[in-house]
Formats: sequence, C-alpha cells, structure tokens
Amino acid sequence: MKKILGIVVLVAVLAAAIWWLFIRHDPVAKAEDVAEAEATVAIAAYPQQVLWGDTHLHTDNSIDAFGFGTRLGPDAALKFARGEKVMATTGMEAQLARPLDFLVIADHSDALGSTKRLYNAPRFMIQDETLLRWYDMMHESPEQSQLAIAELITAASNGTLPESLTDPEAQEENNRTVWTDHLATLDKYYEPGKFTPIAGYEWTLMPGGNNLHRVVMYRDGYDRTSQILPAPALDGDLTALFDHMDAYEESTGGKVLAIPHNSNLSNGLMFELTQADGGPMTAETARRRAMREPVVEATQIKGDSESHPFLSPNDEFAGYGDVGWEIGNLSLTAYKEDDQLAGEYLREALKRGLSIEQQTGANPYKFGMIGSTDSHTSLATGDEDNFFGKHTGNEPNGERANAEQNLGTRIGRFGWNYLAGGYAAVWAKANTRAEIFDAMMRREVYATTGPRMTVRFFGGFDFGETDFTGDWVSGAYKGGVPMGGELSDEGKAPQFIVSALKDPDGAHLDRVQIVKGWITADGTTREKVFDVVWSDMDTRRSVGGKLPAVGNTVIREEATYTNDIGAPQLQTVWTDPEYRAGQNAFYYVRVLEIPTPRWTLFDAVRFGIELSEEAQKYAVGQERAYTSPIWIGSEPAAP
Amino acid sequence: MTLPSWTREPLVHFLILGVGLFAFFAWKGEPVDPASRTIAISQEDRARIALTWERTMQRPPTDAELDTLTETWLREEILYREALRLGLDRDDAVVRKRLSNKMDFLASSIAETTQPTDTTLRDWLDSNPQRFADDTKYSFDQLYFSEKGDAEAALGRLANADDWVGLGQSIDLPVSSEGASSQAVEKQFGIAFFEALQSIEDTGGWSGPVASGFGWHLVRLRERQVGAVPAFEDIRDRVENDWRLTTLEQRKQDAYQLLRGAYEVTVEK
Repeated sequence: MKKILGIVVLVAVLAAAIWWLFIRHDPVAKAEDVAEAEATVAIAAYPQQVLWGDTHLHTDNSIDAFGFGTRLGPDAALKFARGEKVMATTGMEAQLARPLDFLVIADHSDALGSTKRLYNAPRFMIQDETLLRWYDMMHESPEQSQLAIAELITAASNGTLPESLTDPEAQEENNRTVWTDHLATLDKYYEPGKFTPIAGYEWTLMPGGNNLHRVVMYRDGYDRTSQILPAPALDGDLTALFDHMDAYEESTGGKVLAIPHNSNLSNGLMFELTQADGGPMTAETARRRAMREPVVEATQIKGDSESHPFLSPNDEFAGYGDVGWEIGNLSLTAYKEDDQLAGEYLREALKRGLSIEQQTGANPYKFGMIGSTDSHTSLATGDEDNFFGKHTGNEPNGERANAEQNLGTRIGRFGWNYLAGGYAAVWAKANTRAEIFDAMMRREVYATTGPRMTVRFFGGFDFGETDFTGDWVSGAYKGGVPMGGELSDEGKAPQFIVSALKDPDGAHLDRVQIVKGWITADGTTREKVFDVVWSDMDTRRSVGGKLPAVGNTVIREEATYTNDIGAPQLQTVWTDPEYRAGQNAFYYVRVLEIPTPRWTLFDAVRFGIELSEEAQKYAVGQERAYTSPIWIGSEPAAP
Repeated sequence: MTLPSWTREPLVHFLILGVGLFAFFAWKGEPVDPASRTIAISQEDRARIALTWERTMQRPPTDAELDTLTETWLREEILYREALRLGLDRDDAVVRKRLSNKMDFLASSIAETTQPTDTTLRDWLDSNPQRFADDTKYSFDQLYFSEKGDAEAALGRLANADDWVGLGQSIDLPVSSEGASSQAVEKQFGIAFFEALQSIEDTGGWSGPVASGFGWHLVRLRERQVGAVPAFEDIRDRVENDWRLTTLEQRKQDAYQLLRGAYEVTVEK
C-alpha cells in the first residue's frame, strides 16, 4: 500500500518536473514572438513623449537584497513597475499610482542569486563555516539577517568572501540558471510599445569600499543575451568590464552600455584625471570610457551626485541630497578628504572632461544624466509620498527615518539621509528596447529626483524667436541639436531653447537654470549658473544678481503643500551672454520645483513620530531635474 | 433531506479529517515515532542515505562509508528525538520559521505544479474579464487656461468660433489627442484630468472647466472606444500566470484560515 502510494507520488513529481523544465516555457520561441511584436511598433520621426523608467532595481536575486529580507523576485518587480498591485515583503499592499514605461532589473552579478540559494539549501550541504553562520543568521530573524548581509558587504569590500561565492567555476553553473531564467522572465513581460523590460545587471567593483559600481544594460533580447554571463566584478577592474562588453558585441552582434552610479561614495575614484594606475590618461582610455559610458546616474536613494557646495560655492542650490553620503565611502571604512570631492560630483567631472580633452584630444567624461532608484525591495518607487525603503529592513515603519542606517558600521548615516529615489526620463522614438537604448547612446535623457516633469532642451545658433506653439519641437530638431548633442564652435554665441512642464500630479516649478562649465586657454575650468526663466518674472526681480526665493507653502504638521506659488510651465530661448569664441564648454539645464515635503515628513505624519533635529532640517526640499549637457567645441584635432 | 448546518462548517471538516488521520496512524503505527526509544533502520532507510550521499559525491558509498553514514544518521536521529523530548523545538526561531514555511509550502505546492486545463483558464478569463481587457481609448480636444474665469468665459464663445484652437492659452500639451490609452492620458494630463475625462458622458460637445495639475481645461470628448477582451488563445500565458498566482495565494490563505478558525486567540493590549 505504502509502495503504491510512493510510486504514484514519484510519477506525479517526475511529470511535474519534466513539465517545469522543458515545457513550461520555451524562451527561444518566446523570443521570436517578441521580435515579431517589436517589428510592428511605429517609430516616430523624432521623440514625441518622454518615457519614464528605473534602470537600477534589485530583486531577491541580489545577494544583499535577499539577505536584507526581500522575498519578491523579478516577476513581482515587473508587475509592480507596469502598474499591478503586489504584496511587499513586509506584508503591505503596494501599487504605483502611475506605472513606468521601462525597467532595468540590475541584480549584482557577483554571486547572482546565491543568498537565495544559500537560504534555501539544506543546512547539512553547507560546509564553509562563515556561510553556515550567515545561513543561521538569515533564518533566525530579520535583524540577524541584516547583520549577516552587513558582514557580507564588508567581506566583499575587503576581499574576504568565502571562496564558493567568488570562485568563477563554482558560480558559473548557478549564474547561468539564474541569468537565463531571468532573461526568459523579461521576455514574458515585454509589451513593445507599452512596457519594456530591459536586460542588465549591476557590476559591483569596490576596492576598499570605494564605490565604482556600474549598471550594465543591454539593447538585445534572449537570443543574444543568453549567450553570455554577467561579468563578475569583485576581483576585476574597469578594463575587464569593457573587455567583457567588447566581447559580447563582437560575438553576438548586440549592443551594451554601462552606467556608473554613486560616484558620491567613491572617495574620488569615479572620475579621476589620471589612469587607474596613476599615469596620465591616454586618448585611447578617454575615448573608450566615453563610448562605453554615455550616461551616468546623477541621483538615487543613496544621495545625489550632481554638485557639492565645496566645489560650487556660488551655487546656492548645490548640495541637494549630499548630507550623510559626503562623509566617506560606501562602507564608511574610509572617511572622505575635501580634495577627493572633485572626482565624485558630476558637474566637476564634466569640467575635468574638458580639461582632459584639451590635453589629449579626447573627452572621457562626455556623459548624459539620468536618475534611478537603486531600491533593493523589488519595488521601483521614486516619489516622496511612496518611498518604500532602500531595502526590506526599512520598508515603511515608524523608526526608519531617525534610525542609524549605515550598512557596514551602523554609524554616521541615518535613515533620513536616504532620498526617495529618482527616475530616468528618456526621449525615445518608441517604447522598445532598441529605441530606449539608442536614446541613451545619444544621451537624449535626463534625470529627476522623482517628479515627472517634461523637459525639452535644444542648442543651436539660429532659432530666432520661438513662440512655443504648434509644431515648435520639430522645428527645434531641424534647427539644432537636442540634449546630449554637440555643437561645433563657429565663432557665434550658442542659443538654447528650454521648455519645462511640471509633473501633472506634482508641484509647480520655481525656476529653470542653465549650468555652464568651460575651460580657458590656460587650462583653468570654470562654472556659472544662470537663472534663465522663473515664475512671476514681472514681480520677482533679481536683487544684486540674486533671484529672491520662490516662497514655501509646506504645512509641516500635515505634510502638504499648495501650488499657489511657482508656475506650471517655464519656457524661454536663451543666448549665452558670456560666450567666448574658442572656449570649449558644456551647458545643461537644472529645473527646480517649489519646496515640497520630503518622505521623512510623510513618515512623521503617517506614523505620528517626532523627527530628530537634524532630520527636521532636511524635511522639506526642492526636487529637481538635470538634463544631459549640450557641448560646444572646436573639432578636436586628429591625434 | 437537508443536512444540518454544522456539517458545512470548515472546522467540522477539519476535525473529521484530523480524527481520520489519527485513526489511520493509530492503526498503521507512525513510520517514525519521535517519542519511541526503538529505532529500526531498514534496507530502504540505508538506500535513502546512500542515495543522498551519491548525489553529492557522484558515486555510491562503499560498505564502510555507508556504515559510517548510518552511524551519523543514527546519532542525529537520537539527538533529534532527545531534543524533542526536552522541548528544545519550542521557542526556537529557526525551527518555528522553518516549520511554518513548510506548512505554507504544503498548502501551495499543488497549485504550483498543476497544469491547469484550458477549461479552467477559460473560466478564469470569463469570470475576471476586466483584468485582461485592453485599455479604453479616448479621442478628444482640450483647451488650456491658467485661470478658471478665463475658461468659463471662453466656453460661451466656443460654440460659434471658427478658430477654436486660438481661444486657449499656450501650454506644451497636445490640443487634439487621437485614440489615446487611459495610461497615456493619465501620464500626460494627470490623474485629476483623466478622472474628469472618464466621467464625461456625452461625446461631441464642449464641457468644463475641468481642473488639472496645470490649471483649467475645456474638453470635447469625440470618441470613447471601450477596450475589448482579447481572445483566449492570444493571452493564454497571461491568464495562466494570473490564475496561478491568485490560486497560490488563495490556497495559502484558505489553509491558514482553516487552522486559524480552530484557535481561540486573545491579545492583551
């Protein structure tokens, strides 16, 4: 009797396993369907509507995200991003009021999926003592699990991870399964023209805890991306990543790019003036860097990297989202010196690019800007009123804002240092993988700290008067270059068209600024911020070269604001009044919203808590957008 | 004959099932009784131990190795039984979590592996059409005004205006939209505007002013195409995903509720 029962169960399990392994989905056939659907999407002559997305989301396949407690995988992440309701790990229902247009799930390539595997492994299979301890901690309680991951991150930056997590051969088999399963999942959710999941991973290089992380993003579908495995980072260097990217393109005919992020935690290493070995940067290195990294993440949960008051003392709006992050590197194993800041913030990096170009003829830092979340909860939330936490340990709860949050040492950084996260705005000609990727390659993208304002930015020499009616956009494309583009210096002052429309469900706009950086003949780099258009221009006049503040309608006790100040739309045509022929320069737009409550204030009201004194100081902020620059320069001499 | 109502109580089913299981094991004897101090290791047990070892080492164990493995297994089993006797499984977070996970897994495992028939899935689609329907599409014109008063004034002049586009103020939004999906309208015009557009009943005429995050709008809804539910064959995968996910959650929830119902819980506050 028992035997018959046993046989029946065995047969059933076998049948289920065969179905699961071979019949459930056939990714190759699915990829063909996807290609067909892609081919039917209409491609516009020029970008019509901006697409919103997150290029940097972690799921339970990330070694740290799983350890922090996330139990939502890529399926849930994709559902959530396209607007469906999901249950967050901590049991709360979560749904985006406004869905995203695209999503890059960027799980860490090192030990891809391995904490999940460790957690689910039979205990007796684990031989390594450290792993066994982490295994027990992960099973004991959420707090212990977070401690285990903190140890793991420190071990990773010290290069002392257990061998089985870093040994490429031991990892390969596992990585292949996780990676190809993941790619098949992406195809399942791809609706060309409507919602686009994009293949990618995070490449997590951090020598001594200095953050040199990149998100690697592919243009292609399963047929190409399944031919390779994500590049491991822990023992590598940037050249190894670029080689891996070259090899992918050569062997598959596909395309791939990399997006650096959290330069603010690199202790000066992200945008160096020299080669990694300390020698002067060669033109070849510079060209390769610019080609591989057309876009940089300017803002995300772990702070904003656009500007720093130390580097830009005359910019009263510099330093948004710097507090807490500026004190040291990612693991806070090394504090930061002032002279390291220049290698960390994007405006300075753009200037360094000009100076390397002057010396070598090639600009390594000719990048556009995007925002993203870097959320480790599988939930791509970017707004102040829906911040779902950096990781599952700080999903909404009354303690998180005031609590010490630093991953490694638990000192120095607090919950309120986190930003709610940003989004990437992409001017693509259609919502497909290829079009989004190509828009990033031409840097026709911008960053926001969450709000979905629509920003157009064009540069040229002869726009004349634009009245911003009818088909002005197509005229601007014909007469100039969009954000991310390059103008060649013809001895005439460049003109710029800027149009910023507020987030339809967000705050009014305070002002639009153009940030200019340039280099003089003797090699000095300079910067200046111009207010070019702002709300109530008739009555709000500059005093001593400074525009009065827009005001503040935030009611702190309720975490609300009103749109009684500011403007729904700001547009202008601006000609650089300080143009000097022969000076290479870049120009990018910064749009500021009126002051609004930060997520900490929403938390204070929702959970009835008192924010710490420091947290209160930063409980109201002016959210913003940064466009990719437009460069002007003489054609570089051929080397 | 109608059955008395208590026979329909899930609690009663649960109890009957429990009594049944109890009777079955009382008759057959449990394969392993953790309270017993007799341990008989059968050929099958040894084969199982050997198989586990073989899976790791990729070769069968030698006789000596198997004896050692059996000893190890026996040691673990004895310690396990004594631990239970001492109540060491109580108040242990790891054991607690592990066992409750197993219960959840038991409840959902059937839904995870069953291959639903087309009939099941068609029924699922039929009873939840709204989850699979295409978007409603809107074709409409709109004029923008920053002040409500200006919008009201313009509404009167719209009826006999030749250049109706010229009556509105400039903003970077399309005056006319053709077949825009709900999602596209909401994305471009915001939630407040979209809700107002949804509630317009008559097509063809101008109405408003309607508030949006930008200001005020006069709106003319020209056509509303209600989204159709795609044919089952075209969306079979989607239906199956949806069915599986919902069923899985439901099973876990049902199983828990059944057990929960048998408990009386008081919480002191």
